[in-house]
Amino acid sequence: MADPASTPLGKMLLEEITPVVMVLCTPYVEESCLKNGLSLIQLLSPFCDFTNIDVPVRTASDQPYRLRKFKLRLFYSSDIRQPNLEVAKERLKKVITHVGEKNFLESSDPSQVNNLLSRPESEMLPSWFQFFNKELVRTLSFSDHEAFDHPVACLLVVSSKDDEPVNRFVDLFNTNKLPSLLNDGAMDPKIMKHYLLLHDNQDGPFNKATKLLADMRNAFGQNDCQIICFNSSQDGKIHHQDNPWAPFKSDALPTENLGCFLNLDDLNEIKDFMQELSSKHIIPYMEQKIRVLNQQVSATRKGFRNQIKNLWWRKGKEDTIDTPNGPVYTFNSIESQIRILGDYAFMLGDYELALSNYRLISTDYKLDKAWKRYAGVQEMMGLTYFLLDQSRKDAEYCMENAFNTYLKLGSAGRRNATRCGLWWAEMLKTRDQLKEAATVYFRICGEDTLHSAVMLEQASFCYLLSKPPMLHKYGFHLVLSGDHYKKCDQIKHAIRTYRSAIPVYKGTTWSLIKDHVHFHIGQWYALLGMYDVAVTHMLEVLASTHQSKTTQELFLRDFLQIVQKTGKTFEVLKLQLPVINISSLKVIFEDQRTNASAAAASVKESLWRSLEEDMIPSSTARSNWLELQSKIIPRKYKESNICVAGEALKVDIEFKNPLQIRISVSSVSLMCELSANPEEDANSSNNEVQNNEDRTSTSSGDINSCLILSEVDFSLEGGETTVVQLTVTPRIEGILKIVGVKWKLSSAVVGLCNFEFNPVNKRVVRGRRKQHSPSSDLKFLVIKSLPRLEGFIHSLPEKPYAGDLRPLVLELSNQSKFPVKNLKMKISNPRFLYAGNQKELNADFPACLKKKMNVEKSGSHANVNKTLQNLFHFPEDISVQEETSLSWPLWFHAAVPGSIPLYISIYYEMEGVSSIMKYRTLRMHYNLQVLPSLDVSFQLSTRPSRSQEFLLRMDVVNKTSSECFQVHQLSSVGQQWEISLLQPVDSILPSQSLFAGQSLSCFFMLKDRRRSSTSEDSIPSLSHIQSDVRLGPQDNSEAFFDVSSSPLADFHDCERSSQGMSSQGCEYKVDFVFIAQLPKGNRDSSSNAPLVFSHHACDCSPSSMSPISWLVDGPRTIQHNFSAPLCEVNLKMTITNSSDAIASVHINTFDSPSSNNQPIDDATTSQPPEHQSGWSEIPIVNDTKIITTEALTTRVPKSLSLESVPQYIWSGTSSTKLVLQPRSTAEIPLQICVFTPGIYDLSNYVLNWILTPVNDGENQGEANKSSGVCKGYPYYLSVLESNFKD
Amino acid sequence: MTSTACFIIVSRNDIPIYEAEVGSAAKREDAAQLHQFVLHAALDIVQDLAWTTSAMFLKAIDRFNDLVVSVYVTAGHILYIYGTDLHVHNI
Repeated sequence: MADPASTPLGKMLLEEITPVVMVLCTPYVEESCLKNGLSLIQLLSPFCDFTNIDVPVRTASDQPYRLRKFKLRLFYSSDIRQPNLEVAKERLKKVITHVGEKNFLESSDPSQVNNLLSRPESEMLPSWFQFFNKELVRTLSFSDHEAFDHPVACLLVVSSKDDEPVNRFVDLFNTNKLPSLLNDGAMDPKIMKHYLLLHDNQDGPFNKATKLLADMRNAFGQNDCQIICFNSSQDGKIHHQDNPWAPFKSDALPTENLGCFLNLDDLNEIKDFMQELSSKHIIPYMEQKIRVLNQQVSATRKGFRNQIKNLWWRKGKEDTIDTPNGPVYTFNSIESQIRILGDYAFMLGDYELALSNYRLISTDYKLDKAWKRYAGVQEMMGLTYFLLDQSRKDAEYCMENAFNTYLKLGSAGRRNATRCGLWWAEMLKTRDQLKEAATVYFRICGEDTLHSAVMLEQASFCYLLSKPPMLHKYGFHLVLSGDHYKKCDQIKHAIRTYRSAIPVYKGTTWSLIKDHVHFHIGQWYALLGMYDVAVTHMLEVLASTHQSKTTQELFLRDFLQIVQKTGKTFEVLKLQLPVINISSLKVIFEDQRTNASAAAASVKESLWRSLEEDMIPSSTARSNWLELQSKIIPRKYKESNICVAGEALKVDIEFKNPLQIRISVSSVSLMCELSANPEEDANSSNNEVQNNEDRTSTSSGDINSCLILSEVDFSLEGGETTVVQLTVTPRIEGILKIVGVKWKLSSAVVGLCNFEFNPVNKRVVRGRRKQHSPSSDLKFLVIKSLPRLEGFIHSLPEKPYAGDLRPLVLELSNQSKFPVKNLKMKISNPRFLYAGNQKELNADFPACLKKKMNVEKSGSHANVNKTLQNLFHFPEDISVQEETSLSWPLWFHAAVPGSIPLYISIYYEMEGVSSIMKYRTLRMHYNLQVLPSLDVSFQLSTRPSRSQEFLLRMDVVNKTSSECFQVHQLSSVGQQWEISLLQPVDSILPSQSLFAGQSLSCFFMLKDRRRSSTSEDSIPSLSHIQSDVRLGPQDNSEAFFDVSSSPLADFHDCERSSQGMSSQGCEYKVDFVFIAQLPKGNRDSSSNAPLVFSHHACDCSPSSMSPISWLVDGPRTIQHNFSAPLCEVNLKMTITNSSDAIASVHINTFDSPSSNNQPIDDATTSQPPEHQSGWSEIPIVNDTKIITTEALTTRVPKSLSLESVPQYIWSGTSSTKLVLQPRSTAEIPLQICVFTPGIYDLSNYVLNWILTPVNDGENQGEANKSSGVCKGYPYYLSVLESNFKD
Repeated sequence: MTSTACFIIVSRNDIPIYEAEVGSAAKREDAAQLHQFVLHAALDIVQDLAWTTSAMFLKAIDRFNDLVVSVYVTAGHILYIYGTDLHVHNI
């Protein structure tokens, strides 16, 4: 460690613990001094500090040493008393307030902790601490338990102007006027006196003064009298370059010329006088006193005998004295003398001697329970140890002991403890024990809040300066200190400390702390009337979600109050209330793509693209990406999106209330900039930049304004989130930029939020994804107003039942001045919706669906291709003129239940309006919720005997909960099939109505008319078409619905294609249309027309599904005489290949049930891969249910296998192979041998077939190759024993 | 006897990830604040101590008035800090 004396504490001690000189002077003396603007003491003070006095000193030991540094403290006798507590406090308060004002204005807060630490230490630590500490220590001067403040000497000063100066000297040292210390016996009144005659040169010649000096010397002694002549300058214009008095007269005005009458000779004279006083009088006097006292002490207290005696004596005394402050010691008591000895030795720098005496006296005081004195001595011991730089531990121990002892005294020792603590902390700081020093500062805090505040602040700086810096503690103690400052109304200090703490907490998530700090700073700034700053701090706590509801209310209320007091509306960037979810930002704009509804805008762009792909001109849709747009839009604007003047841009944005309390938000609007197009308006000077600032106020009413902005007001409950749609409508051409959003919170604060700062999350719905600057996504090129079609489908049911078939009207209206033409429409789901003919517009529904006798059937499938492509061209001559509307019929069919999205895109062109945009599309989007209604399933089974006739079973279940359907008709599609009821519907369903939950099963016979006609040679006439069956009342003359004409036929085609069937399949595939009705007004109260429901089932085929059918023909009953060994029965199998492929058929017969089992199992296991290869087309699952009879067929052989012995065997070939040409029939003879009479089931054979498509180039060879296994069906043969004996 | 206590889990980089106010004393707004202040300030001490000892539980490392702070330091340097009343702590 460096020399202890050069440390801050050492310097402080050398300055503060120095001999005191009591000054007594006459009024004339003061008067003369005041000419210079100084009191006598102020005049002398600069010359009391000797840094290199170099006086030899010999104290107790024989070894003299040289004293370098020496200082005298001068006090008027009136000041030598314990300072008034209140006055002292007031003075300290003034000091603090003064500093507060000064620092508050100067303060510049570092925003980062790193900046805080990077500054040099001296800059970090406020210099006023030291000053304050000194002042605080001084409030404790002249206490009676310490001797170092007791005057060592007395300086009596009389002016030469005084009458009879000698008498004045005597008068001055009048005991009545002396300080109480001298009078009450705390110190020796017989102190060294020094007499000084002060001569003001302005008052007269020097001669008179010398004469007076002679008188004085006669009266008081030769050595003790001196004279000083001053104020030698006559004009008083001497200016001292570095004014020596400045530090001693702090309240001096800068204009005041201190010492203006003192020339250099005067100064030298004063300096010499003070030096002489110190070195020739005071120091020798103290030396002498030390020696005398030391001798006394040695005589009475040193040595073993004296110690024993002392102990004994004190023990005896113990019982008698018990005053709270311990015993009273007069100056001539041995204890006081030891203390004086110690203090004098300390002041003369003989620390060894001082220490030994302090030690001696300390035990005495302790035994006497004179705690205050004991603590005082301990304190001095600590300091002495420190200055000796010997034992740190001892020093600290002594300081702590002293500190604790003072504290034990209660309020009496409190201030002493403070002083002791300050020294102690300084000591620790000197030794780099900053953490401990901080603790000491913390312990100093007492009942005086203001002092505590300063101490806490000092503690905080200790933490900051410690290595490594303890920033958490630093922050905490600053906040504590700020609280204390606030309690004492030192608001500026409080703000300063809190603000210093901000960097510590910045960026952390210790939210309660941050809120506390910012909220209080805000409040306090508001108290000072600095509302602007207050608001910025209050903003930090506004969105404190973690706080309780009451706290949030408090924050918001205070914030609004402060804002109100500012008297203006604040514009706050990044106001956190409400929170704006930037990632939710959605810009909806329309260039050539327009939306009929918001729902359409929310659909993915890719979906529309694929829908519109073949509708919009290929130059934009299909051309390679390099050329994309460059032809249409000048290169300049390629990066901007395009919007049309007069059409609103919509911005969806999400607002969230993070608090638990309700907030009201008003005047939410977009901030936009509309600048004239720089390209076009380059020559015109009115480059108008439409700023939004003044726009919001006038936006709603001002027609002429270039932008129309919508304003939204809403209020958010706690935690609520709402999506707000804001619109901006540019009215003129130019470049529109959406800058951000602004809103008003509680109609007091305007919050602004720029969309720029977090561009990564932004999502622009329409915008093409671009790689360059995302800000351009919010930049739009506004082009001239264009026609824009509005589209609407009237009375589209939201929740239809499945099967619902009805006409709808699409209305397209054109509000603009320009006609549009060349309309095209594309519908995503033609199964549900397709465009009708214009003449159907006013057709009577459902009558128009019914069969008309006189209408030709031909051409009914005219628009099949059109609907399959989903693209509908409006007739050439159709155009939508200006300010008119066009209605167009649409057919709607709710094909399947479920949630069905419908996308409709309408393309139109406008001519000569804009070079940038030639066409536009209107996008419409509807979501249908189709409810299940009737569940219709068909089951078709072949009549084994007749392959052209089928049994059809139809099951209908009403799946609705309340509706009652009227069954109407069942039709098969096409001319091929004849359908007839097996039993009248009346017998099954007398009411003809199917109530909720009810089911209906009907059986029909289905006849392949084509086949039968060839076989039976009967020619059916068209009039006898029986492809429709009425299920309703038979007597009803109502016509059938025509399933072969539009729209039923069209929808049926759609069903077919969507059910994955091609029109040409195998022969035995039937399509059915089942039609039911809902009675009038049953469901839709709006329309009275009955609702028609059509259910389509496609490709119903017999359950075997096999292209190969066969018929086993032969006798059913045989009589045979079994006396002959066996009975042979000849059978005939007719195999028909109904497919278009060549079939190779392999017939296997099995004799024994055991061998019968094997291939069946094989067949069942190998059956599933009818289409074996992975690359073959996977059939789409049918919507209609065709109940399979698989279970039935597999059961048969199993029951057979129970029989153990074969009753018959297949004779002839056990395996036959043949190849069948497409659509051909072959006959195979079969033979069995029967051994016993009985009834036989001849079903134990298997047909393996493989279809090989005809190689005609169209089919891709093996792609359609299929194979299958068919089990034989029962054929019962009865063999009877004949009675013949032949 | 009423008592207050608070418990905070602090992840690395001094981020509080869990906070709880426990104790039978009536909940006061500023108590939670003060607790956070005290525990936050104690982080300095933890940082000093944690690297000097092998113990994971550091009892009574810091105190402010009556609130005594103890810390359990996990191997991943996640801190479980709790502050309790002095009299509770001594039980």
